[in-house]
Amino acid sequence: MGWGGGGGFWGGGGGFGGTRPAGMPFGGIPSELQEGVDAILKEEPPSAPYDMAFTMEPDAAERQRLTLWKLLTQHPRLLAWCTILVIIVATTSQVGPALIEYAINHGMLPGHHSVRVIIVAAAAYLVVTIISALGQRSQVRASGRLASAVMHELRIRVFRHLQRLSLSFFTEEKAGVIMTRMTSDIENLQQLLQDGLNQFALQGLTMVVITIILFFMNPLLAAITVAMVVPPLFAASWWFHRASERGYERVRNGIAGVLTHLSESLQGIRVVSAHNRQIHNAIEHRNVVGEYRDANVYTGQVNAIYGPGSQLIGFLVQALLLAIGGSMVLHHHLSVGALVAYFLYVNRFFQPIQLLVQQYNALQQSQSSIVKLRTLLETQPEVVDIPDAPALAPINGEIRFDHVDFGYRPDRLVLHDVSFSIAPGETIALVGPTGGGKSTIAKLITRFYDPTYGTISIDGHDLRKVEQLSLRRQLGVVPQEPFLFAGTIRDNLTFPRDDISEDELNLAIDRVGLREMIDRLPDGVDTAVHERGQSLSTGERQLLALGRAFLANPRVLVLDEATSSLDLQSEGAVERALDAILEQRTAILIAHRLSTAQRADRIMVVQGGRITEEGSHEALMAEEGRYADLFNTWQQTGESPASSLDADLSNETR
Amino acid sequence: MRATTEQDRSPSPLFPVSATTTYRRPKATVDPDTSKSWWKRFIPIVATRRVPFIAALVFSGISLVLQVLIPNLLNQAIDRSIVTPSVPLSHYVTEIIWIAVAAGIVGYLSRWLLFRTAYDFEYDVRNLLFEHMSLLSFSFYDRAQTGQLISRANSDIRSIQLYTTFAPMILVQCAVAVVAFGFMLSISVPLALIAMATMPVLFWIGVRMRKVMFPISWVIQARLADVATTVDESINGVRVIKSFAREGRQVNTLADASEKVAWSYTKDADIRARYTPAIQNLPQISLVLVLIFGGIMVINGHLGIGAILAFNAYLVILQAPFMMLGMLVMMGQRAAASADRIFEILDVEADITDRPGAVDLVVTEGTAAFSGVRFAYGDGPDVLHDFTINIAEGETLALVGRTGSGKSTAAKLLMRFYDPTEGSVSIDGHHLRDVTVASVRNQVGIVLDEPFLFSATIAENIAYGQPDASREAVIAAATAANAAEFIDKLPQGYDTVVGERGYTLSGGQRQRIAIARTLLVNPPILILDDATSAIDVQVEQSIHEALHELLDKRTTLIIAHRLSTIALADRVALLRDGTVVAIGTHESLMASNDEYRSVLAAIESPVEESI
Repeated sequence: MGWGGGGGFWGGGGGFGGTRPAGMPFGGIPSELQEGVDAILKEEPPSAPYDMAFTMEPDAAERQRLTLWKLLTQHPRLLAWCTILVIIVATTSQVGPALIEYAINHGMLPGHHSVRVIIVAAAAYLVVTIISALGQRSQVRASGRLASAVMHELRIRVFRHLQRLSLSFFTEEKAGVIMTRMTSDIENLQQLLQDGLNQFALQGLTMVVITIILFFMNPLLAAITVAMVVPPLFAASWWFHRASERGYERVRNGIAGVLTHLSESLQGIRVVSAHNRQIHNAIEHRNVVGEYRDANVYTGQVNAIYGPGSQLIGFLVQALLLAIGGSMVLHHHLSVGALVAYFLYVNRFFQPIQLLVQQYNALQQSQSSIVKLRTLLETQPEVVDIPDAPALAPINGEIRFDHVDFGYRPDRLVLHDVSFSIAPGETIALVGPTGGGKSTIAKLITRFYDPTYGTISIDGHDLRKVEQLSLRRQLGVVPQEPFLFAGTIRDNLTFPRDDISEDELNLAIDRVGLREMIDRLPDGVDTAVHERGQSLSTGERQLLALGRAFLANPRVLVLDEATSSLDLQSEGAVERALDAILEQRTAILIAHRLSTAQRADRIMVVQGGRITEEGSHEALMAEEGRYADLFNTWQQTGESPASSLDADLSNETR
Repeated sequence: MRATTEQDRSPSPLFPVSATTTYRRPKATVDPDTSKSWWKRFIPIVATRRVPFIAALVFSGISLVLQVLIPNLLNQAIDRSIVTPSVPLSHYVTEIIWIAVAAGIVGYLSRWLLFRTAYDFEYDVRNLLFEHMSLLSFSFYDRAQTGQLISRANSDIRSIQLYTTFAPMILVQCAVAVVAFGFMLSISVPLALIAMATMPVLFWIGVRMRKVMFPISWVIQARLADVATTVDESINGVRVIKSFAREGRQVNTLADASEKVAWSYTKDADIRARYTPAIQNLPQISLVLVLIFGGIMVINGHLGIGAILAFNAYLVILQAPFMMLGMLVMMGQRAAASADRIFEILDVEADITDRPGAVDLVVTEGTAAFSGVRFAYGDGPDVLHDFTINIAEGETLALVGRTGSGKSTAAKLLMRFYDPTEGSVSIDGHHLRDVTVASVRNQVGIVLDEPFLFSATIAENIAYGQPDASREAVIAAATAANAAEFIDKLPQGYDTVVGERGYTLSGGQRQRIAIARTLLVNPPILILDDATSAIDVQVEQSIHEALHELLDKRTTLIIAHRLSTIALADRVALLRDGTVVAIGTHESLMASNDEYRSVLAAIESPVEESI
């Protein structure tokens, strides 16, 4: 079993892509494609790291309203070139039958024999075919380039906007929706620009060109032919389009049902076996697969009607053309060559109509994608810099909450009239039940949110009046769920700054106590982290997060239960890591373990959005309040009081 | 696979079934002979549908032959009714109309039958694979990755199905191409040969094109996945990014990934630019050749003008199979590779099976015994060795030990998820190897440490082991597991859909549903794998209260990860490196055993046994 080929290289989504042709990736390269993929990857240019400046303020171009037209006209020369090529292709590819007509009428008909005419017509045919092929070639290249350039820029633009949005956006909007904007919505546009619009223009133009040629040859027959071909074929294609749309919807739902049942049955195989559910599940599976099969049979039926059906229309039109056109020839209203050309052209009507109907759908889809992207781009961040906000000068780390009220929703306050101050270099522990407001205080210090009432200041600067990036560069947060990025351990440790030297890195590794773990890894600090570090224990990931914060070297550090998963057996290691990281900084510890809280200079008990007790460990113990209760329980049972403090973490963590 | 060839097993109380059978079971299975080629092994399945399949092939043959007739009629009509009128035009017109209608009807029938056969085939293979996988033993799941299995069951079956649909269609088209070529030859041998000159080139280009198009689309998908990874990280890691003010870094990472996407799309366009114009215009070149040579032949009186029209139509008919033959070759390769991957699963045999003559286990007392058990996962090191424990009727025994000491493994042996390498596991004196697997699992209930809930309602999840249980029974089990209270508060109560696609429950809530699920079955022997994740102390206490009563009445094995759970046990067994080192009451071990005390101190270690 095991992984096929690339390993972590193919990491990330993939998805099942219901509308795509079968055989799209699911995780590993099928062995039969490996060679081809390798060949392409060899050609891929090495990544040249980007170094784009990023500001929280969008520039003028980024403020523009997003429309399809503006996207297209971003590269006016490429666009113009594409247009010219489309016109060339549409005209040159339709000259052939007219040349055949000429050759028949002037070179082959009795009394008009001329080898020269035939050769000239054939040569001309050859030339236009070559021109058309070259035109197509350039057109595919040009529109491919236009599409990838435009989409590349759009992707960056949308992503930059996402990066500007506040934390509240990410907690309120479903992750899947944000993901869809950045992936399928942009993909829809890619398909449209690369192929859809060209096809739309090309096929539309083709129909016009053919119609004109037909009218030139014989207006009456042209009118009859167009009337016979276009309406029924459009109607049939439209019906097909709608019916297959419905069908594919059913197929997509069907396969989703099959995969859900399959994956749950496999993931829950232990439960399935423990409860002897195999037969029941097999019947359930038959039912979902059966529905999926019925959906497939339905679309199959639609296809089975449309394919032969449109062919039937074609044959009937030919029969009628033979009857009408033939009698016109017999009455000398039409030349034989023209009739042959008519037959050739009539067949050429079919493809454009079918493609136009198909592309219409793509056009609609991308319009709706544009609207969704536009809405996203017009979403304003909640936390914004005031105009010309000054950068925060290097701080000492004195933090002050002054009568702060806060609610994630204005009608439900989470913090009530919180006031306190923290001296530079002081370590404060926040303890209390989940939902009491500890994490909220931490989020306000980093200005993930602005207070509803009251002010928060650092070194006397109101947080709302300084540039947010300059504030956060001097702060560090270690969240409870340590998040690791795809990349190596080194990438993850050096995440905060670009200019971290090897010595600094090594120092951090030693001080935080990562050395032993890193030495154990196959490639040391350059070991790749797979699947967000699932191969590492939570404790190891927390140590990495601590190392990351150490390297950020912030003046103010917020540890949000950052040591909760560190192994109790390595209590000593935790102490050393904390010592290293808290040294000479202002620190706010949201404490999971009372042993950690004990280390703080001052402890604040946060309950019901208020600070109810405050003081050193000894002072609080003497007070015999809530803290003393908690501490005593903890000492007696020898168990971590974590659970009583954190009833349900899932409410607060994203 | 043997099990799947028989009809649905007679309803046995051991295999609870309450689903309605709307769709029938696959009538045949794959050929078990692994030496045969992949498509031969699928023949038994296709054979169950030979009538529609053969009919489909015959009909598509007929419809294509009818189509081939029409250009020839046009050719004759132009020459005999128009250029030199000798036959009335209406003769050809009516003939074309009749043939067209016939071709339409037969064409519809052929495609419909062919699609049906192919989708039925897919249905069978999917169900066979599913049934087979659900019967496989745990040793298989230890090796396989669920994601891989799902993708095999999806893409691989799909790619075989595509091949089974298109291969016959293309082959029929090829057959018709031969007929069309025959017609061309009958009109003019030299012109037919000249017109065909470009076809091998077309075929060759088609093959080449598929060869490069598939890999590039993979590269595009991979690069898009990289973009998605960065976006995903920016969503899930938003707090880290924002707190270090590293939005700029993320933007650059994304730009880098996006540029690779742009490159691969450009590459894709370049490849298409190389092949599409050639494929689309080669038939035109044929037409140029037909024009020159055909024209000269017309002048010399060897050919009628209508032939030019007919040749044009035939070239269109011929073009398709030549282009698609390339595709067929590629699809065949893919289908073969896919089939190999599927057979890799289908050829695995379950290693935990009923011995011939095995009887159903009926627990009367409820004693359990491990004697001299040795066990290893696959070829790995021994996880248990010399493992001997006797659990008395109604006793609750806790297994305690550090990570990797073999606690969970012992529990899995008692469920007969695995068979021991040496020694025996028995219940009421019956060796588990001698009784039916289903009866063991029916009598031994397990609550897993990481409770897995299905995307179904809470009621359905609780009734998982007894799908036809009444609502009262479900509520009773939920109440016993202390879950009733929070369930009542949920939006739709017991009908709230949970699991991956539904309402998100906390770890403690999931744990209680899992307990209710096991309690509903009311097994005489119970295994409790203590949750390692944090549960609210109050909740834990209330679960334990409920359990206390239940444990009193039945034999229970607890894998304890916390002190409070140990308190439920009558006796505790201390495990080290797969063997029992001490056994006794908690108090006596606390008093006498240093190792026990130190293990308890470290017991909340976050790392849990992974298997």
